[in-house]
Amino acid sequence: MKYALVTGASGGIGRACSLKLASMGYRVLVHYRSRPEEAEQTLSLIQEAGGGGELCAFDVSDKVQVRAFVESFLAAHPDDQVEVLVNNAGFRKDNLMLWMTDQEWDDVLGTHLNGFYYVTQSLLQHMLSRKYGRIINMVSLSGLRGLPGQTNYSAAKGGIIAATKALAQEVARRNVTVNAVAPGYIRTEMTSDLNEQELKVQIPAARFGTPEEVAGLVGFLASREASYITGEVISVNGGLYT
Amino acid sequence: MTRSELIDKVNEVLIEEFEVDGSLITPDAPLLATLDLDSLDLVDMVVLVEQNFGFTVKAPDFANIKTFNDFYNLIQERTTLQVVA
Repeated sequence: MKYALVTGASGGIGRACSLKLASMGYRVLVHYRSRPEEAEQTLSLIQEAGGGGELCAFDVSDKVQVRAFVESFLAAHPDDQVEVLVNNAGFRKDNLMLWMTDQEWDDVLGTHLNGFYYVTQSLLQHMLSRKYGRIINMVSLSGLRGLPGQTNYSAAKGGIIAATKALAQEVARRNVTVNAVAPGYIRTEMTSDLNEQELKVQIPAARFGTPEEVAGLVGFLASREASYITGEVISVNGGLYT
Repeated sequence: MTRSELIDKVNEVLIEEFEVDGSLITPDAPLLATLDLDSLDLVDMVVLVEQNFGFTVKAPDFANIKTFNDFYNLIQERTTLQVVA
């Protein structure tokens, strides 16, 4: 059986990615940390659409938890393959650096950057051994351009972008691709505090995007058709960043 | 499996994976130079060892491997295959 692990699958973009990958035939590992009801909702939607999956709970910033999950999963599924990893888990703790707390910095870097490393590193040899893998990292306009009030988030996402490009070169010969997707303003819980009416004037497409529009790209990058695309950062932002 | 048989098996998988002329492989020949491996090729070496000999080579292991003989010793020491002296 072929699996896709989507971290942070309880939220808007993670849920849409999970549904997309399930529609492509993957059995989805619906990851969550603190919102089991939302993750269960994701799994229910997958099942209602005729797909399959299972819940998994761990803190991506805790290397012991991550490695314990991956090791036990792979040991219990010796004939299965985790073909797709979507590193999506994350959150914002915005503040001007002048007032940023160590906790705000550490939490954001820990979940995004360390989380990317712990989960990806744990699954890497599994993918390399099977000469197939699709690693898709959810980054952000913030990581490309830098956004004021988000030095922690910009640093984390910028770090993942650089790591995406480096790792892509390490593993390309074994048919493992590594790409990043950079959403702009997408209608999710994470952007619910933003004023779309005010912000959409900055967006050439004149609207926020939807999680499904991000998931469409993730689905393509996860497919066989994207086999020659690696080390790329692709924006989904209505033309906002040019 | 004897050490001689182990060496034959190691050479066989190296020749197949890295397409090297078998006559160049001698116990004292330099491993990486003979196989024409750069640091990225070590990814392939790690996978090859794991699949054929049942253990994971770590970066510090490679630091001590200069020759094919060093490599045979590592495999003999760590493999899950039964090797008799």
